[in-house]
Amino acid sequence: MKIKFLELKDNYAKILFEDTKPYFVNAIRRTLIADIPKLAIETVTIYDNTSALFDEIIAHRLGLIPLPTHLDLLNFRKECSCGGKGCPSCTVHYTLSKEGECIVYSGDLRPEDPMWAVVDKNIPIVKLLKNQRLILEAEAELGIGKNHAKWQVVCGIGYKYHPVIEIDAEKCNLCGACVEACPRDILEIKRKKLSIKKIENCILCKSCMEACKKDAIEVWGDENRIIMQYETDGSLTAKDALKEALKILHKKYEELEKIL
Amino acid sequence: MIMPIRCFTCGKVLASLFEEYKKRVYIEGEEPKKVLDDLGIRRYCCRRTIISHPVFMKDGEVKELIDEAAQYE
Ligand code: SF4
Ligand code: SF4
Ligand SMILES: [Zn+2]
Ligand SMILES: [Zn+2]
Repeated sequence: MKIKFLELKDNYAKILFEDTKPYFVNAIRRTLIADIPKLAIETVTIYDNTSALFDEIIAHRLGLIPLPTHLDLLNFRKECSCGGKGCPSCTVHYTLSKEGECIVYSGDLRPEDPMWAVVDKNIPIVKLLKNQRLILEAEAELGIGKNHAKWQVVCGIGYKYHPVIEIDAEKCNLCGACVEACPRDILEIKRKKLSIKKIENCILCKSCMEACKKDAIEVWGDENRIIMQYETDGSLTAKDALKEALKILHKKYEELEKIL
Repeated sequence: MIMPIRCFTCGKVLASLFEEYKKRVYIEGEEPKKVLDDLGIRRYCCRRTIISHPVFMKDGEVKELIDEAAQYE
């Protein structure tokens, strides 16, 4: 199997798997969604809230804020040597205290150590009018996407077969109907020949096949080559998320092997 | 009420992008399609969440329901 990054940014990856099978890539996809740990706010103690939003809504909004996750420094709280009471190796504390008139942003969450500072500081949590107050303490811990969506690192993950477009130049009369029909602007007629531009952008909709009266074009997906793309919410980079997912899959298979 | 932090469907963080969207679309009158593309919002679930979030204009400012509700503690 070969892996190639077609595009890689901090929070976005588009990956080509070659010489593989859908069930294999799907296992990676599901691990990315459900099994990678990340940090999120789990317990909120509210001391004062005179804003228009209920305590529960504020706690919910806090939970959804992506926090930077240094996996090497943290354990799951349940498995921690402190016995689940909460200690520096399983729990991160934040405080927030603000008085109106203002908008409370995610950047107002003050961590105990600057390395846990919220990455995206511009997420509005609530608006306060004059004399309204919000004072609270929050505890963040590790969790996985299987238990709650706030612990899901990736979003919008999906994969598709690599498109293959075959043009029969003998049958094709260069009428241009397929060029017109293609929603992704993949086809063009250039120097009296029908040619293909960026083939990865093809969505396998087959509109070109339907438009062609001569049966000269055929499109299908190659299930041995798969393009996967996903974003992360910023708690882990796209590359680290993939590495972590592969590590987890590997561990699971090892456990299975031991049982057998 | 107030912009949801994430897309209901896919979980992408949208609340921080909405500030810029509000300014460019509702005040400066830019085309929503262009602003969404610029902000890197590619999926239609996220685009739906943003364009369907209710706002109204008052005193030349873009207001959300929270601005009205905030008066009642
Ligand atoms: S299958 Fe759809 S996207 Fe692909 S080339 Fe044909 S019309 Fe274009
Ligand atoms: S629609 Fe068919 S015949 Fe016309 S240009 Fe496309 S492939 Fe050729
Ligand atoms: Zn602990
Ligand atoms: Zn979405």
